[in-house]
Amino acid sequence: MKKGIGLALVVLITAVAAASAQGAHRQLQAASAAGVSCTSTLKLAMVTPLTGGAGFLGTEQLSWAKYAVATLPKTMGLKIQLLQGDTPVEQGAAPALTLAQKYAADPSVVGIIGPSTSGDAEASAQTYYHAGIAQISPSATDIPLTYTVNGKKLGTPAFFRDVPANNIEGPSIAAYITNNLKAKNVVVFDFQEPYSQGLAASISSYLTKHGVNVSHLSAPNTTTDYSAYVTKVPSNTDVVVFPTQQPPAAQTFAEQLVEQGKKAVVFGGDGADAPAQFNHPGDYVANFAPDISGIPSDAGIIAGWQKANPKATLGSFGPPTYGAVQIMLNAIKIACAKDHGMLKRADVYRNMKKVTIKNWILGGTFKWSTKTNDPLNAHFFIFQIQPNGKYKLVNN
Amino acid sequence: MQFFIQLTLDGLTIGSVYALVALGYTLIYGVLKLLNFAHGDVFMVGSFIGYGVLQALGGASNPMVPVWLLLLLVTGAAMIGCSVLGVVIERFAYRPLRDAPRIAPLISALGVSFFLANSMQLLFGAQQFNYASYNLSGGALYFRGFDLDGVHVPLLRIITIGAAFVLMVILWFLVNHTRTGKAMRATSFDREAASMLGIDIDHVIVFTFVLGSALAGAAGVMFALRVPTFAAVGFTTGLKGFTAAVIGGIGSIPGAMVGGILLGCAESYTAGYWTTAWSDLVVFTILILFMIFRPRGLFGRVDIRKV
Repeated sequence: MKKGIGLALVVLITAVAAASAQGAHRQLQAASAAGVSCTSTLKLAMVTPLTGGAGFLGTEQLSWAKYAVATLPKTMGLKIQLLQGDTPVEQGAAPALTLAQKYAADPSVVGIIGPSTSGDAEASAQTYYHAGIAQISPSATDIPLTYTVNGKKLGTPAFFRDVPANNIEGPSIAAYITNNLKAKNVVVFDFQEPYSQGLAASISSYLTKHGVNVSHLSAPNTTTDYSAYVTKVPSNTDVVVFPTQQPPAAQTFAEQLVEQGKKAVVFGGDGADAPAQFNHPGDYVANFAPDISGIPSDAGIIAGWQKANPKATLGSFGPPTYGAVQIMLNAIKIACAKDHGMLKRADVYRNMKKVTIKNWILGGTFKWSTKTNDPLNAHFFIFQIQPNGKYKLVNN
Repeated sequence: MQFFIQLTLDGLTIGSVYALVALGYTLIYGVLKLLNFAHGDVFMVGSFIGYGVLQALGGASNPMVPVWLLLLLVTGAAMIGCSVLGVVIERFAYRPLRDAPRIAPLISALGVSFFLANSMQLLFGAQQFNYASYNLSGGALYFRGFDLDGVHVPLLRIITIGAAFVLMVILWFLVNHTRTGKAMRATSFDREAASMLGIDIDHVIVFTFVLGSALAGAAGVMFALRVPTFAAVGFTTGLKGFTAAVIGGIGSIPGAMVGGILLGCAESYTAGYWTTAWSDLVVFTILILFMIFRPRGLFGRVDIRKV
C-alpha cells in the first residue's frame, strides 16, 4: 500500500515537472513567435553587474543606456522602456540565466543590451536565441562569442557586440608590451573564467611567437590576498598581465608587488579600467573605447549625459553602451518597417547587419564586419596610469 | 632561500590574522562550550568599521592625524564596535538558548553569521573596499622596514604580526593573572559550581564576548590594511580561524596563536611550492586530520570524566 502511494507520488511529481517544463517551453515559443505592435511601448533590457566588484562598470553602462533611451527613440518614432537586470560577477552566470528566462518569457522585450561580461553572455546566449531576441553587448570581449575557435562558437546568430574581441585586445596589449615596453619576461594571469582565460591565451600566444619568455599563474576570481602569487612572480619579470574584472584586485596586486620589492609593471585589460580604483602610477590598462571628449561630434551627447548625471565621471564603458542602444533601435526600426508595424523579435537580429551609423559615438562610421557579428575595423586603446592617478592614452 | 623566507613571511602575516580570530573562538568556546560561527562575520564588520573611521579621518591619502594615531584610532574603533556587536549577539542570539541542547545555539550562530554577511551586503553592496594603506605617508608602511637575506620585511607586516602577538600576551595576562580571568577560568571548568561560589556568570560570559569580539575587530583591521575587504570575507576567514583554534587546541590561548601561525604557513607553503589552487584544500584537510587523530589539538587538555 505504502509502496503504491510512494510510486504514485513519484509519477505525479514527474508529470507536474514535465508539464511545467512544457508550459515554459510553449510560453517561450509563443513569446518568440508572436509579434508586438511597433506603436506600443517596446522593452529593452540591460543585463550588467550593477552591484559587486564590477558594479562600477554596470552603473556607468546603465547611465548611458538610460540616456540613450531617453533621447533616441523619439527621433525614430519609437517608444522604449529600459529594464535593468543585475548580474554581480561574484555570483557566476546564475543571475544571467535567470534574467534570460525572465526576459525571454516577456513578449514585449525585443532586445537585450548585454550581458556585459563574457561568462554571462556565453551562458545565456542560447536562451535568448531560442526566444528570438537580439543581443548587443557593449563589453563582452571573449573571442568564441562571435568567432569559431577550435570548431566551437559560444555565441549565436542573435548575439552581436559593438566592441572588438580579445583577438584584437590580446595582440594590441602584447604588441605594446613587445614593441614599446621591450619586455623580455612576462607573467600572464588568468582568473579561471572565460574573459581572462581567453585574453591570457591570446596575449601569451603573441608574446611567445615574438620571443618573449612567458610564464602563467592562475587565481580564483574570489582571491583578495595576492601575497602568495606575488611571491611566485620571478624578480626579473618586466610585466605582469593581470586581466581581472575587479580593479581593486589590480590595485592590491600592484601594491603587493611593490611591498615585495618587485619591479614588474602591471598591465590590466579593459576589466581593470577604473581610475578611481586602479590608479597605481606606471601601470597600464587597455580598453576598447577612446576618451570621447576628444571627438567633436560627441560634444552634444556628452553635455546631455553630464546634465542627466551631474555627479558621474566620463569613462570608457558608457559610450559603447550608448552606441549599442543606438544600433538596436535602428535595427528595430528597420524590422518594424519590414514587418509592417507588427514587430517579430527575430527580425530585429535578422536585420541587425543592415545598420550603419554615421558620426558614431566612438568615432567615424559604424559598420558591421561582413564575416562576424563584430564591428568593422575596431581597435583597442592603451592607457598609462600617470603619477596623479589619471589615465593617459599612449597608443592611437 | 629567499623564496622560503618570503613564503614564511606571508604565512606569518596571514597566520597572525587567523590567530586573532582563533583566539576569539577559543575564548568563547572555553567559557561557553559554544562554537561561535558568527565570529568570522564579526571580523568582517570590524574591517568595515575600520574603513568607515579611516574615511571619516580623511582617508589614507589625506589623514587628519599622524599615521600612528590613525592606526590606533581605526583599530580601537573596530575593537569597540565589535565588542558592542558581540554583546548584542550574545544577549539576543545565545543567552535565551543557554540551557537548550547544544545544537540550538550552534544553529543560532550560523543564522547570525548569514544575517551579518547579508545585512552588510545589503547596506554596502558586494564590492570591495580598499583601505589604500599604500597611500599612507607616501607608502611608508610598504617601503620602510628591514631586509632579511634579500627579502624586504615591510613595516605593515611588522605591525600586523606584532599587534597579534601583543594582543595575545595581553589576553593571556588577563585570563591568567586577574580576578576576572580567574572567574572566566572557573566558569569554563564548571559553570554551576562557579555560580554557587558567587561568580556572576552573565557578566563573565558578556566579558568573554567583549574580549573575543574585540580581537575579531582588531583582526579585521589588520587584514584590511593589506587587502580589500568585502561583505562575504568573514565566512572563509572565520572557518580558517576556527581551524586554527582546533589545531592549537580549542580552549588554549597559546594554542590558538600557534595554530594560526601554523595554518598561515601551511597555506603559504602550499601556494608557493605546490599550487595556489590547492591551499584551501590543504588547510581543511589538516582540520580533518586533527579531528581524527588529535582532536584535542596541540595544546588542548584531555578531559577527565568521573564515571
